[in-house]
Amino acid sequence: MSSAFEKHQKRRLISSYFSVVISIALVLFLLGLLGMLVLNAKTISDNFKERVVMTIYLNDTAKDVEINQLEKSLTLASYIKETKYISKEDAADFMKGEYGEDFLDDIGHNPLQNSIEVNLKADFVTEQRLDSISQATLTKAFVDDVRYDKDLVSMMNSNVKRISLWVLIISALFTLIAVLLINSSIRLAVYSKRFTIKTMQMVGATKQFIRRPFIWKSIKLGIIGAVLALIGMAIVLYYVDKTFADLQLLSNTILIAGLFLGVFLIGILITWISTYIATQRFLNLKTDQLYY
Amino acid sequence: MPETVLQLKDASIYQGDSLVLADVNFEMNKGDFVYLIGKTGTGKSSFMKTLYGDLELTKGEGSIVDFDLAKLKEDDIPYLRRKLGVVFQDFKLLNDRTVNANLEFVLRATGWKDKEKIAAKIEAVLNRVGMKTKEFKYPYELSGGEQQRIAIARALLNDPELILADEPTGNLDPQTSIEVMEVLQELNKKGHTILMATHDYALLLKYPSKTLKCDDNKVFEVVQRKG
Repeated sequence: MSSAFEKHQKRRLISSYFSVVISIALVLFLLGLLGMLVLNAKTISDNFKERVVMTIYLNDTAKDVEINQLEKSLTLASYIKETKYISKEDAADFMKGEYGEDFLDDIGHNPLQNSIEVNLKADFVTEQRLDSISQATLTKAFVDDVRYDKDLVSMMNSNVKRISLWVLIISALFTLIAVLLINSSIRLAVYSKRFTIKTMQMVGATKQFIRRPFIWKSIKLGIIGAVLALIGMAIVLYYVDKTFADLQLLSNTILIAGLFLGVFLIGILITWISTYIATQRFLNLKTDQLYY
Repeated sequence: MPETVLQLKDASIYQGDSLVLADVNFEMNKGDFVYLIGKTGTGKSSFMKTLYGDLELTKGEGSIVDFDLAKLKEDDIPYLRRKLGVVFQDFKLLNDRTVNANLEFVLRATGWKDKEKIAAKIEAVLNRVGMKTKEFKYPYELSGGEQQRIAIARALLNDPELILADEPTGNLDPQTSIEVMEVLQELNKKGHTILMATHDYALLLKYPSKTLKCDDNKVFEVVQRKG
């Protein structure tokens, strides 16, 4: 008889802890993912920005020396990531591949120009910077034209700002939800023990003494939840890194380690504070107030 | 001169905003056994609660085992309760642990550290109430009378200067009530001071002693006629 009762008690205990652990784990997991997004927002946006191409079209009359010199001076500039010379033959080959064979035959000659493709470093991909580079380059006689997608650049810059702002807002919102959710789970667990807490006070235990085991228990649950969340984050990180290798998510180990440590500490801190507040609430009540 | 353990002077006891008892004057000496009787709702429990710090004494003076009730601070309450032994009508044992763990909790909560001393003390108090064999039972495995004996054992742990029993037999049948009462009488003979609230008049007749009555917002002493 009694063993069945004990089993029931134990099961009830485990299932109530289970929901606390799961809610902590889920919330920390989402928080961690957002954290990863925030930390990598710059890497990701830089990656996109550095794909923006500025093309310098050259006159057919340009001498090889001049072209080489231009390309070299661009390569050496601090704001340039890489340059690539594309001859009109290469361009024609590319076009052929894209549109089919007949393109050259129809016109009879190759209308394309020799060109240099320039990729800028992410920090310099702004409209002003691109304008000033293109103006400086256009002054050279052998340069025919400089083209780049001005709209794309301006859109990109304003979007990155907007997206980072939203990610931050959502992160803040999630942190709030995290605290509320974990707090209510813990409050419920403590509430179920309110009469035990009161009895403990009746026999002369100090508030601190009563609170201590509750806080310990919650921190343990917080640690388990945080570890589960970290495992989830590690799995996600592993697959994202495998799928988008060029984002180099894992390159900044210190930041990632910091994020993991942060999530772990948040798990402990939130459970600690919630338990403190929840137990304090019942510790401060008089016996009669427990019933309503 | 007998040592005073409890003294109330012009004390008024309020439950919330409503006055329960007015101008209580009462003194209790070491070794006394005093009954507090009265119908339900006349303030017996409020009176007891004031004594163990669950209700504030806002008007009048009161001192109990060297604590000033009128100036009692929240932080002092645990230390006051360590000098008192409180027994409740509904036992108030910790249901999530064994008898042994119940008693051990109290000792650890009140600063006991030495394992052997703790074990010895638990054995001693359980022997006093005749419950030595129930050490590893859970409270819900015991009968009401047995639970109340454990609660009395718990009240004895810190050698209290005063035992407050708030209707200790209220939930028990007459036979068991007498058994519990015998335990309390035995303790009183060994020198413990006991204040017991009850409405069980049969017990009063069987174990006559000084009796206070709560009625009409007042506490006064009643004299028992020898029957």
